[in-house]
Amino acid sequence: MDSARRLGPAQIGVLAQLGVSTVLLGGIYALIAVGLTLIFGIMRVVNFAHGEFLMLGMYLAFWAFTAYSVDPWVMLFVSIPIFFVVGLVTYALVMRGVIHASHNVQIFTTVGLSTALQNVALVLWTGDFRIVRPWHSSVVIRFADTAFNLSQVVAFLIAVALTVALFAFMKWTHTGRVMRATAQDGDAATLMGIDTDRVYRLTFAIGIAAVGAAGVLVAPLYAVYPTAGLQFVLLAYVVVVLGGLGDMVGAMLGSLIVAAVEVIGSYLFGVAWKEVLYFVLFIAVLAFRPAGLFGQRGAETLGA
Amino acid sequence: MPRRTLAIAVVALMLVTGGLLAVVHGQSLSGEYKIGVLEPLTGPLAGEGKRHLEGYEIVRDMINERGGVMGKKLVFAVADAPDPTAAASEANRLITREGVKIITGTFSSRLCGAASEAAARHNVVYWETSCVDPRFNKRGLKTVFRTEIDATGFGWYNVEFIAKHLAPRFGKKPNELKIAFLSEDSSYGQGVTESARQRAKQEFGMQEVAAEYYSFTSINDFTPIIAKFKQLAPDVVHHIGYTNDAPLFWRQAREQNFLFRAHVHAGATGYGSPDFGKALGADANGAFALLEPGPGFRIEALRPEGQKLEREFREAVQKRTGSYPLGGHQLAGGGLWLLKLVLDRARSDDPDKFRAAVMALDLPVGSVINGWGVKFAENGQNANDRVQHYMLQWQNGQLVTVWPEEFTTNRAKWIPLGAWDQRK
Repeated sequence: MDSARRLGPAQIGVLAQLGVSTVLLGGIYALIAVGLTLIFGIMRVVNFAHGEFLMLGMYLAFWAFTAYSVDPWVMLFVSIPIFFVVGLVTYALVMRGVIHASHNVQIFTTVGLSTALQNVALVLWTGDFRIVRPWHSSVVIRFADTAFNLSQVVAFLIAVALTVALFAFMKWTHTGRVMRATAQDGDAATLMGIDTDRVYRLTFAIGIAAVGAAGVLVAPLYAVYPTAGLQFVLLAYVVVVLGGLGDMVGAMLGSLIVAAVEVIGSYLFGVAWKEVLYFVLFIAVLAFRPAGLFGQRGAETLGA
Repeated sequence: MPRRTLAIAVVALMLVTGGLLAVVHGQSLSGEYKIGVLEPLTGPLAGEGKRHLEGYEIVRDMINERGGVMGKKLVFAVADAPDPTAAASEANRLITREGVKIITGTFSSRLCGAASEAAARHNVVYWETSCVDPRFNKRGLKTVFRTEIDATGFGWYNVEFIAKHLAPRFGKKPNELKIAFLSEDSSYGQGVTESARQRAKQEFGMQEVAAEYYSFTSINDFTPIIAKFKQLAPDVVHHIGYTNDAPLFWRQAREQNFLFRAHVHAGATGYGSPDFGKALGADANGAFALLEPGPGFRIEALRPEGQKLEREFREAVQKRTGSYPLGGHQLAGGGLWLLKLVLDRARSDDPDKFRAAVMALDLPVGSVINGWGVKFAENGQNANDRVQHYMLQWQNGQLVTVWPEEFTTNRAKWIPLGAWDQRK
């Protein structure tokens, strides 16, 4: 155990690898969390079915790859419009009816949607674990003492690009400004002539498109099965709370923090501790900075 | 003679001759004997549940060809148990509505506890053929039996393999081996791992360098563990994984160039699942998984009666599924055959007579399907060293039987495991 304490070249190698792992894992979490934080921040709806849309994205990548040999990287471009439409349809069929209802009703609705989607996947595709294995999933890039998987590096880069794009969209486009206005005060936005229903519909569709794309990108890295979304979605909630509701850049930073807690905690204390650690962090943030580490004070009550 | 009477007489005559024909045919199956079969046939466990049902049906037909049970044709009342609640309520229904005195099933450790509890409450025999929850036989239930070994038995076999086969091939004594334990934290993973840890340490003095548990529902990255393990440099990694995490660990170990001499798993999930090979292709080479016999199994190594049974069983599975028997077929089929042996002896489903017959059964390894033997303990558990298990290894896309060597034509390769790209 003594060698673990001394800082030699081996130790620096381990540190470098842990750093790389944190960044790459954080990228995957961010990819999943941006859509959630968008829906959460603007619609004030906790979408408990978020993980299931991730799962559907993974299945889309699986079937495209298995049946038509379409690489997930190609599928990414197809998946964004597909999931945008899926988001619109889901909004029309499920969310529109409860958007002005109490939080309890919304929670029941999205939990119901989550269970329904899981079981639809189970009926259609059975509980088997499926694997997507494109050429890049087994390509390893070695740099100094660190190693990383090509699929994961690309997933990370796209996560950054997607977050930046969404951030820019929200900040500098007219629609983005309208969405932010709706987030700040739905009623006032309506009075200003903003069609909030349209904003909600659009928000939901963008959020689902983002998570669907995330599913396609993580498919080469993880097994695909009906409850695959649950593996990530709990983390996504932590990320969203850490980063502040509706804050894109906060989601990115929150993802990195959660990933760092997970990676470094697993290394130092053992992997069994990782969930203890980040939920302690989660509770601490809720207790001391309820608007999130990067959110504005008081933002948590907006639109409540 | 009126026409109707004549017709009745003819029918009666036909029935009698028909009955006589059946008697002449040898087996004189007078009536049916019904047992309850409880398996998850819908829901997430359905794939494996259906395979078990298939195994039962194949062996049921073998049994009926040999005269059935207690002189009657064996038939099933099949019920679906997708979750523990359904397992208990369907067990109750089978007993009260279908009137069965024996229930077999339910393979999953999530289900067997509830199902057997319900059966025991009605004083009905519960005959488990595959669930591996170590708690199953620790409840003092007199009518509950298990033909397959439990998770602790898997740990027992894994250490047996490491100490008696791997250590000599590494040119080391067992007490010179450094072993790292890694496991998912379900009752199965913990049962296997804890019993393996105990036996490795107490009986063989192996050096445990790590013991890590994780939840397979939330593990997304193994690199921190791999970084830690790399520094501890274990000879053997004992990893009980589930279906999503095993390929992840293996892929990341390769990425991180984590080198160890051998990697050992137990059970039909994780490294023992066909999905592992699908996920990794030739990169899967070298991983070991303790299972039922697979390709390479030498039937000639069994006792003569076992050879005959095993051949017939394989042919029947081949005919029905077009493939080599899978774990579900083997556990269900092997277990049901043992039930037949008990009923042959007990000639009754009375719980006391049945139990006496179970306890009296004593067959050496190689006697029945899967090369198993039988010797039940008082707690209703078949003995570890009778329920022969086999080490399989991934070799170029296939899991093949490699140990014990007298039972197989294949040999374990890559011992010790070389560099990741040298395992071809």
